[in-house]
Formats: sequence, C-alpha cells, structure tokens
Amino acid sequence: MQHEFNNRIAAQRAILRVINRKSWSSEQLFGLSSKAIDRWVSVNHIESGSELVKLIRDVSAKMFFLANKSQEQVSDEYTAVRVEIAAACDAIRIELEGAAV
Amino acid sequence: MHIYAFGSVCRGDVSPGSDIDLLAVVQGHDPRFSPDDYSIYSYERIREIWAEGNPFAWHLAIESKLLYSCNESDFLKSLGKPTAYKNCLQDCEKFFALFKKARASFESQAESKVFDLSMVFLAIRNFATCFSLGTLDKPDFSRSSALRLGKHTLSIPGDAYKVLERSRILCTRAIGEPVSDGEAQVAFGQFSRIEEWMKGLLARVGNGAARI
Repeated sequence: MQHEFNNRIAAQRAILRVINRKSWSSEQLFGLSSKAIDRWVSVNHIESGSELVKLIRDVSAKMFFLANKSQEQVSDEYTAVRVEIAAACDAIRIELEGAAV
Repeated sequence: MHIYAFGSVCRGDVSPGSDIDLLAVVQGHDPRFSPDDYSIYSYERIREIWAEGNPFAWHLAIESKLLYSCNESDFLKSLGKPTAYKNCLQDCEKFFALFKKARASFESQAESKVFDLSMVFLAIRNFATCFSLGTLDKPDFSRSSALRLGKHTLSIPGDAYKVLERSRILCTRAIGEPVSDGEAQVAFGQFSRIEEWMKGLLARVGNGAARI
C-alpha cells in the first residue's frame, strides 16, 4: 500500500519521459492534469483532436482513477487499469514515432 | 452528497497563487465532479481513512468547512476525531523515497525536469506535514509546511524554494511562467541540503520522537 503512491508517480514520470523526448516547439508537458495537457496543446499549437492528444487525455483519466484508488486494496479493476496505462504508454510512444503532430 | 472546502481558504491563508480545495463525498460514481476540481471520495473511503488515522483525514477534521449537504447533516463532523496518527515514520520514509527518485530522475535525463522539481516539492511538503502531525503539537497542512516547523524548518534559499513551488503549480494547475534551465539548476543546487534535512528528521522520528 505504501508503495502504490510512488509507483503511480513512477508511471506518470515514464509517460512524460516518452512524450517529452520529442522536442516540442514551445514547452514540454509538465504533468498529466487536464489543465497541464490543455496548456501544452495550446502553447505548442498541437491539434487538439489528434490521436496523440486523445491517448494522453485517456491515460490522464486512468491516472486519476488510480489516484482515487491508491489507498485501497488492489482489485481486479485496479490491476486492469495499471495494465491499460502500460499499454497506453506504448501507444503514445508508437504514435510519436509514426506521426507528425 | 456532501461538499466541503478545505485547506488554505479555511485557514484564511490566501494569496494570489492559492487555489480553493474542494472535497466531494459521493455515493458511487458521480460524473458531475471533475477530479481536476475536486478531491472525490466515497463515504466508505472517508470512513476508512478516519479509522486508519490517515493524514488526509486529520487535515479534513481540522481544516474543512461544509458547503453543501444533501440531508443537512455534517458527515465529517459526525465521524468525530480520526484515529491517532501512527504511521509517521512510514509516511516520512515514503516521501523520502519520492524525493530520492525525483532527484535521481532529474540527474539522469533532460526531458521532464519540471515534473521532477514538482515531485521534489510534493515530497518536501508531504514529508513536513506528516512530520508535524506525528511529532509536533500543532500540525501544519499548508503548502509551506516545510518552512513552518520551528527549529526543524527546511533552510534553503527562498528563490530555490519558489522554483520548486512554481514547478508544482505548473504540473497541476498549469499556471505560471515556465522554469528556465538556470532556475532548475538553482533548485537542484539545494537537493543535497534537502536530503540532509529529511535524513535528520527521519532519524528523529525513528528514535521515537513521534507522538503516538
């Protein structure tokens, strides 16, 4: 239970590293809050409906799910979301490699 | 459904940079509440953190005000005092680990330095809050808790602390000027001092200073 908090931060860091490996025109993505994503999309003139932005918003929502559940017992649902976050990280990496955003 | 304000607005500790912390206590999923704007908890989970003596339960017990009640009851008040706080050492160790990971990440890459600075700030703040709750007469739940610990206060230059705080606000509320490389280095220059401060307080808690 004590490790869940830090594991969630580590997952967020891993996703941000994938995204910020690309040199964005204005600012890196600072965090995975909706407001941070909104700012990053706006200042870098990224298409808000792009697949990349959808993937990032989706993973952000999953992170918030884990945040709300982080002190609770690990459930099947919780485990499933963690797997989905790992998959989303891969999908973001592939999207960044394959698409001009 | 119950809605509470908590934190700085309840302490009267407001500034241009402070936000309003809101808690929604709900039954099941309630799509009306965004996690960007509210801390969202179920009634069951609130009862659990009360029973655990969780620091957030103490924060709410000491610094919250009811804004709306679906049945005119004050749910949090009805729970009485949370269980005594027992996990000071474990919580401080957890936030020390958070700090060390953020430091290692900052030193090893250039891509997400603002996020790592933000995590250093989160670690400092939560560490100080848990230390104050576990060992001092008066807990401090404020954003500046590390600077309000009396003789245990974190002593780093104000400009470095401000960079860490700004990074945290950039990562969450996404407001403020970006942190320059030079500013990041100013904050980084204090990491060793922050680590020593945490180690010193951890030793104190480990030696039984915690008020259990």
